[in-house]
Parts: sequence; structure tokens; C-alpha cells
Amino acid sequence: MNDNLSTRRVFIQKGMTLLAVGATIPTFLDQTVMALANPFDTARTQKDSGKDGKILVVVQLSGGNDGLNTVVPFGDDAYHRARPTLGHDDKSVLKIDGYLGLHPNLAPVKNLLDKGDMAVVQGVGYPNPNRSHFRSMDIWQSGRPDQEVVTTGWLGRFFDNTCAGCDPHVGVAMGQQMPLAMRGERVSPLSFERPESYRYTGKDEGRYMKLNKIDLNASDAPAAPSTQPVGVAKPQAAGAKKKIEVTTPKEQLDFLHRTAMDAQVSSDDILRMTRGHNPTGYPPNEFGNGLRTVAAMIKGGLPTRVYYVSLGGFDTHAQERNRHDQLMTQFAAGVSAFWKDLEDQRNADRVMVMTFSEFGRRVEQNASGGTDHGAAAPMFLFGKHIKQGVIGDHPSLTQLDQGDLHYKIDFRSVYATILQNWLETPSKPILGQQFAPLNVVRA
Amino acid sequence: MIRQHPLLQPYTPSSDEPFDEVKAAHLLNRAGFGGRPDEIERVMKLGPQDAVDWLMDFPDAPADEESKTDQPDLSPVEGYPKNFRELREKLANKTPEERKALQQMLMQANREALVQVVGWWMKRMASGPFPLQEKLTLFWHGHFTTSAKDERAALLMWQQNELLRRQSAGNFREFVRQISRDPAMLDYLNNQQNKKAHPNENYARELMELFTLGIGNYTEDDIKQAARALTGWGHDGQDFVFRRFDHDDGEKQFMGRRGNFEGDDVIDIILENKACAPYIAGKLFRSFAYDVPEDGVVESLGAQLRDAKWELRPVLRTILTSKAFYQPRAVGVQIKSPIQLVVGTVRLLDLEFPQPQRLANPLNLMGQVPMMPPNVKGWPGGRMWINTSTLFVRYNTAVFLAGGAMPDSGDRLGKSFFGGKFKGPSQDRGDITGNFRPKNAAGSADELVDQWVGRLIQRPIDDEKKSVLREALGDDPNAASVRKMIQLIVSTPDYQLC
Repeated sequence: MNDNLSTRRVFIQKGMTLLAVGATIPTFLDQTVMALANPFDTARTQKDSGKDGKILVVVQLSGGNDGLNTVVPFGDDAYHRARPTLGHDDKSVLKIDGYLGLHPNLAPVKNLLDKGDMAVVQGVGYPNPNRSHFRSMDIWQSGRPDQEVVTTGWLGRFFDNTCAGCDPHVGVAMGQQMPLAMRGERVSPLSFERPESYRYTGKDEGRYMKLNKIDLNASDAPAAPSTQPVGVAKPQAAGAKKKIEVTTPKEQLDFLHRTAMDAQVSSDDILRMTRGHNPTGYPPNEFGNGLRTVAAMIKGGLPTRVYYVSLGGFDTHAQERNRHDQLMTQFAAGVSAFWKDLEDQRNADRVMVMTFSEFGRRVEQNASGGTDHGAAAPMFLFGKHIKQGVIGDHPSLTQLDQGDLHYKIDFRSVYATILQNWLETPSKPILGQQFAPLNVVRA
Repeated sequence: MIRQHPLLQPYTPSSDEPFDEVKAAHLLNRAGFGGRPDEIERVMKLGPQDAVDWLMDFPDAPADEESKTDQPDLSPVEGYPKNFRELREKLANKTPEERKALQQMLMQANREALVQVVGWWMKRMASGPFPLQEKLTLFWHGHFTTSAKDERAALLMWQQNELLRRQSAGNFREFVRQISRDPAMLDYLNNQQNKKAHPNENYARELMELFTLGIGNYTEDDIKQAARALTGWGHDGQDFVFRRFDHDDGEKQFMGRRGNFEGDDVIDIILENKACAPYIAGKLFRSFAYDVPEDGVVESLGAQLRDAKWELRPVLRTILTSKAFYQPRAVGVQIKSPIQLVVGTVRLLDLEFPQPQRLANPLNLMGQVPMMPPNVKGWPGGRMWINTSTLFVRYNTAVFLAGGAMPDSGDRLGKSFFGGKFKGPSQDRGDITGNFRPKNAAGSADELVDQWVGRLIQRPIDDEKKSVLREALGDDPNAASVRKMIQLIVSTPDYQLC
């Protein structure tokens, strides 16, 4: 390697501060495409986005949450053998039964389990698990592991299928990321990090609106833009010649005009709803703020069927213990504060919360006090219409697939359950085939 | 041997397709961060070939070799331990409380140093001598990503940044070898923990998935074997170290070959894979010209890269002088990255570069903080930059730079993207560009509109928008109304494109 002498020189003069400390760092989220449909369809009374409809809140744990240290099979010797220093012992876990327990920091979550508002779905995964963060996250978000190129998500297709004419408020993703999961062909939902940053602050708003061709009195709604990311060819039927989609400068301008218009329309509504909604108990971080904002929008009656919130930082290859403990604390504080907020506003009855991560982690801990990318992992469901308890059997800790757990339940069965039994829509058109729903939602 | 694609042949100006202001500005936008009128004029005089030679005329050297005085202010970390050994010595014989206090001071100092490094780099983009070198450094930062989160040392981030700069137009094979030994990279992708007894696959995977081949061109077993070859490659907090006793020198079977491969052998075998050259050349083309190149363009560039024995300059030159680069579909089709938007606005308005912590929150909200990519894949770019939320932040930030109010970023204003508190005026909500007075406020209203649209958007806009701007100026234009018009120009969709 070429040593850079003068850089070295400064190194010698100054100092270094590389520390393995678990500081709280904001999670930076991906940027994703956001093309909005039809902002003028403000008839907020459609059945499928009506303000009294059932709501799904998806909580994404990004980076690959260690399922085995979240729902701990403490009664299994193989667990302790595989994780001599990283494992949780039977004294510290919050026992569900003689075999399973929750992470010690999940006490507020355990309370929800005990009072009947939560289910644990064990060993969720899919065939031929992919251990790339990006590919596996695409698989979970698209719900189509069978397709190489995916441009829509399972929730995006839910919007497409049930309310193609819905306004974008049908889905709201907290964060700068519009997750693939929420992207549809015809409907694309909203995405923002915080309500306060969600408006134009220049002086001449009137001329700004003219320059952005924003006409709030327009009667004819603009056509829904394509939600295709630029540069990605649409999936073609087998045998069809690949068609290249070229984006012209004019199409880029049109896209920007439409986005500006959509932004203007929804900004006022959301600011009105979220200002002043500040119940106690939410953790003071992006995850807590995101959930608080979601609760405010539910309370305010935004006609949203699906909200999406992320908590990142789960890629624990090294020194996992402290980091994972902190993340569990954050998760538990956020979800329990959210649930109490919904109960206080009497909306908990119409909300279901689903958590997932792109994969679990390897059974055996690595030499760095962490774990590498794995496969199957548990999911959580929260709701007043949930059959409480543990669904399915725990995967074997000794019969492994390249060191990882074999899945027991296909994640698409969980999606099918939510789509059919909670969102009340057929799941086959969305998931491409029929998966048997789990017996977990009750009337 | 693949024949060069016709669209990659040099564009030669003609009376039908002259090398005009729009094309010259296009070159300066893509091969840099935007050109002011004098620069556009210079490029027009040089012509498309010589202009590219001029832009590419930078030394393959880090900034601090180009100029001894051009270094980030790293005084915040002065006097702290330089490497793990010194850190251990300093922490020895301390109580747990003292250790904790020292670590917190170190962390705070490091965050301040990081902001200095990021600010120094952005300032170089805006006013440094070699904009194309900085543009390429940014491109490679998004390719060979490393994030400063997890308290990665500012000095290591700067050292990596200098490596990216030195190699930005150099030899790709050498680049891969060096980045694979870069301390910040080894740390970020856990090769520091990759040991014979317990291999850590993280770097080996991303080396192939993201840095050289793209997904689908290797097997899970290739990853395991490559990880073995890279065992023992680590750092001591300061420099690359090869830890012999952690290294697995046994036989590996990698991409259909068998041998006692070392890390560099694995890199050589990866570069022989036919997917590599088009993957890299195609990414350069998409970044500098446009998404979705015509059939055959990427293959042609890939062949050129291999024929040039992985030298990057010839491929870059081909892209920037090509017919493809100047096609109508290429000009004004690219959505500016947040860094392009901010740096470009500073350049085009001839502003002093703001204090880096003033830009931290807007950049975060727009989705691009230098040295904080969202994940190892870097920034996705294109329409991914734009949603209803980021569009507001982009407009508000540009208005702020053009002398407007600080964008409303709520209670997080002044806090850093690295989570620290800062000395100095970071809590000050004042107007940092309040001194911005447009220099040319003279002329008729129509002339002023044309002048500033030409200067900022650099392409024609529709008449309707022009008349809105004309109205904003009023009948008797003055500095204040020109400033107001400028704030409107940077709040247009047209200004988001280059």
C-alpha cells in the first residue's frame, strides 16, 4: 500500500478516536422513489381508505434482528452451546413458558403479551434464504421471492388492488425512505420524516405555487405517474423482448411538478393533526417520534390504512450485546407507548402492528461477540383482535441450514393472514399464489 | 474485441449542433458542481475535447499533497491517542468512571473532527482547484462506501477520502487492492474481525456484491472462500496490518479455481470475471451521463476498461466527450443529488461556503450527508432523491442559501448529524447568507430574468414561468427584488435538474 506521508504526518501530530462505544446515532434511511398519485381525489370517504377503517402499522427492524436473542429458547442446551457469551440465561429472560422467553429488556412488550394483545409467530422465513441485506429486504418487502426484478411491494399492490383511485394518504411511511413494500403501480403513498419539515418556507408562496404548476382549484386530477424507478425495466412476461424505458428531461419535470403539487395538498392536513399531540412515554428518538406522529395521524382521522415505521441498527456482526440490548429497550419503549396512546384515544381496537426484519442471525455467535447474517426469525403481531400467545413450533437449533435456522412458517402466510383476515382483501392477487392464513386473527 | 459503440464516438460540434452555453454548462454540471458564466465561456472556447482535457488535468494525488495548507481542521482530536496501543496505555490504571469520561471526551472530539472533515471536503467541491476530481471522489465514496457512524475515527475517514481522491481516475485494480487495505473500510465491513478460526464474511460479500461484480455473479461458497483469503487483514487504529496468525493460508476453491489464494489473488480472479468491467464502466456512465444507456454502450465501455488494463481515465474521457453525453435525452435529465444542489448553489451564487454544521440537518433531511451513506450500497440517486418531503427541504435549503430564512427544521436545528453538540454559533438561527446581494441587479426586468435563469438553471424555461419571475421583479427592479426572484428560481422543478 502506498503510504501517504503527509496524512501520516498529521496522524502523528494529532490523535485517533476510534471507540467501540454504543452511542446513540441517528439512523439514516434510504432514499427511495416517491411518485404520488392523484392528490385531488380528496373524497376521503372511500370504503378502503375511510377514516374508520382498520389500520395496519408495519414496524421494520432493519439490519437483521437477532431473533434468537429476541425470543430466546433458553430451555434448549443447544442455544447456550452456540452462544456461550452472547446467550441470555434462564434467570434474565422474561419467561413465556419453560422453553421460551423474551429478551430481558422487553418487559413492556411482555405486558402486552400477558394481557392478550400480542402474538409471537415463530420461525418465519422463506425457501432458499438469501443472506444479502438488500436482496432479502427486497424479498420481504415485495413478498415475491420468486421474482428477480421487483418494482412493487406487497402493500403497494394492496393499494393498487383495493383502491386504485385512493389519494396518497392511504399509506404513510415515516422516514425519508419510501420503502419498496409500500410502492404500487398505480398508488404511491406519502413519506416524510417529520411533519414540521413538510412545507415550503420561502416568502412568495403564491408565485412558488405558480412556478411549480400547483393549482389547488384544478378540477381534473392529473394522471397517476409511474412509480417505476428510473432506469429499471418493467418486468416482462416470459419471452417478451425487454423494453427499455427512457426517461426524458420533460418527464423528469412533469414528475417534479406532480410531486410538488402532492406535497402542497397534504402538508396542511398533516401539520394540523400532529401539532400538539405529545403524550408521555415515547422514547426521544426517531423511532419514538415516528410512532408518536403515526398515533397523531390516526387520532386526526387521516384516511390511512397502512403506516410504516423503521428502527435500524440491527446488523450486529460485532459486540452485539450492548447494541442489541439498547435496541430492544428502544423497541419496547416505542411500541408500548404507542399502544397506550392508541388505547387512550380508543383506536387500539382498529389497529394491528406487525414487526419483521430481513433475516435473523446465525445460531452460533462469531468470534467478535456478534452474529452473522442468518435466516428464519420470529415476528410479532399486536392487536386487540389477536389470538394471544405463541404461534408455531420453534425451529430446531441442531438441524440447521448452513448454520442457520430452517423456517417453519412462510412469511407470505403471515401476509396472507393480515390481508385476508385483517385488511379483508383476497391475498392471492397480491402474493401471486394462495398461502394458508394462520389462525391468529379473531373477530 | 468489441467495436466501440457509435454513440461513444466523440461529439463534434457542427452548425446544427453547436457547442453552445447549454452544452458547456452541461459538461461543467456533470464533470463538476456547476459552472459560472466565466467558466462556461472558457469551456466554450476550448471546445468539447480540450475542455475535457482541461477538466481531467488533475494530479493523481491526495489533497494534502496538492497543497500542504489544504487540510481539514483536526484540532478537536489533537492530543488524543493515535492508535489502539496508545489508547490502551491511556486507559490503563484508570477507574471505570475515568475511562468512561475519557471515552466520552474522545467521542465528542471525534464528532467535531468529523464535521470539520465533511465541511473541508464540501468546500473543496465548491471552490477547490479540481472539481472533476472531487466529483469522482464523491462517486467512489458512494461506491466503496464507508460510513462514519459507530464512532468511526474522523482521521480514518479523512485518510480514506484521500485514497478515493488519489485513485479517483487511476487504476481500478490498484484501487480495489488499496481500498481492501483501508483501515476505515476494514473497520466498517468487519474485516478487522475476519480471522482464520472465525471468518467474518461481511467484506468478502460486499467486495463482490457491490464493489466489483454485482449480485448473481458469484456463489455463497465463493464468499466463504474469499473471506478465508482475506483473514488477518486488519488495522491498528491507524494503519493497515496483516495479522499472520489470524490468516488462513490453506487451499481455497474460488470461482472454479483451486490454490492457496491470498487476498490479492482473489481480487485478480474477481477482475477476470467478465461481469466486472461492464459493472464498473456502466456505473460510471449512468452516474455521469444518464440512466438506462442504449444497448451495447455498457459492454463497449467495459471492453475499453479491460483493454486499458483497468485505467479509468480513458473510459472517463470517452464518456465525457461522447455523442451519447450530449444527446438531448442527456441534458437536464439528471436529478441533482443533495450535495450537487447545495454545492452547486454555493458555486453559482458565488457564496462563502457556510459552516458545515449549518448544512448538516438540511443534508440529512434531503437524504445525503457526506460520509454517512444510508448503508453499504451507497445512495440510490435518481428519482429516489425526490419525494413530497425531500422536495420541500430542497426548495427551502436553496432559498436559505439565496439569502432567505433558515429552513424550518424544528427543534433539531443546530444539532449535528453525528449527534454531537458543537462549539460556535450552531444554535444561532441567524441568516448566514444575509450578506448575499446579487451583483448584477442592473438592466431591464426581461434582461435580469434571462440573466439569472441562464446563470442558475442554464437551460431555457417555459414562457409562463418566465412571466411569473418577471412579475416578481416588479417594474423597478432593485437588489431586494432580484434576490426575491433568485429565491423563486431555485424553488423551481427546473432547478432540481442538471
